[in-house]
Amino acid sequence: MNRVVRTLSAAVLFSVVMLGVSGCKGGAPSGGATGKPAALADAPDVTFKDLQGKDVTLSSFKGKVVLVNFWGTWCEPCRGEIPILIAMQQKYGPQGFTLLGAATNDEEKNVDSFIHTTQFNVGGQEMLMNYPIVMGSDDISTKFGGLLGMPTSYLITRDGKIAKRYIGSLNENQIVKDVEGQL
Amino acid sequence: MKPSIRFASVFALSVVLLIANARVAWAQETAAVPPKASDIVSTHSYVSLDPVPRGKEFQAAIVVKIATGYHMNSHKPSDSYLIPTTLTPQLPAGFALAEAIYPAGRNEKFPFSPDKPLNVYSGSVTLRLRLTAQDGAALGATTIPVTLRFQACNNSACLPPVKVPVSLQVQVVAAGAASHPMHPEIFSEKPTS
Repeated sequence: MNRVVRTLSAAVLFSVVMLGVSGCKGGAPSGGATGKPAALADAPDVTFKDLQGKDVTLSSFKGKVVLVNFWGTWCEPCRGEIPILIAMQQKYGPQGFTLLGAATNDEEKNVDSFIHTTQFNVGGQEMLMNYPIVMGSDDISTKFGGLLGMPTSYLITRDGKIAKRYIGSLNENQIVKDVEGQL
Repeated sequence: MKPSIRFASVFALSVVLLIANARVAWAQETAAVPPKASDIVSTHSYVSLDPVPRGKEFQAAIVVKIATGYHMNSHKPSDSYLIPTTLTPQLPAGFALAEAIYPAGRNEKFPFSPDKPLNVYSGSVTLRLRLTAQDGAALGATTIPVTLRFQACNNSACLPPVKVPVSLQVQVVAAGAASHPMHPEIFSEKPTS
């Protein structure tokens, strides 16, 4: 009898644990698919170019929580989430967080003009993008496992691990919760 | 109920729940993965005359079917920064392009642009080219390569702009030779742009 009870308890416990794990995975917020990319536990060792052509390595941000946001000036949902990103940079930047906007499938001159001229309404205030912008590339996208849509964002921990991937428009509540969880 | 039967029942239920949940999680993950941009359209090309006599204008139509849940910017998108749908023929010697004709898009709102409607194509769209085989066009079967460029999105994410090759097959004959109108279901409709 004791053995039966023990086995039964183990089976139920196993089920509950497994359901909990997969339930978290399936609980993606609407408007943005999320998940831990199994093959990308470590952030790739990539080098972006900034708009002056200088190298910017992802590893240079080690020690900070980084949200790498692949975006494009041609991408309407990417533009739509920029006010959220500006507000996050403003609020969490002093706490060791940074956005890194990687413009992809775009031309440097378009991006340069965009970031210096396009104002976004952030809480009633007109603001320019306030976080570092670099140029993405197919090679960099491939090192992240390939972009499946834009925007795509990767939340990277202080020690350089990919905590989460977000495909599509960010859910503001979810990303704020996730970033706060890393700070 | 005997303990052994109770155990078996609970165990079986646990397994069923696990499988069901795994299937739901898998379906959500799968549904979240957008396809390649080139995979969300299928194209069929049609030519209005067969054969095409030298000196006579003809039309080509590219019917683009866009996967359910996706849309692409129209030829005249709502904003200058959006990438328009274009059709670019690589004309062999002796062919001339008179005009590319794009239908008007539809203004639609999306979750990522709730206040500003975007001018898009969705479902099926027919793009046309007005062409002429001139005197210098080679007689016989000719393939005209055409590049369809578009940038597509679903309700949450956009796919990078992509170029999809399409080809037109035409049979060129001497000026004045007999030819037959083809595909009236497509070409009898007046193009709108």
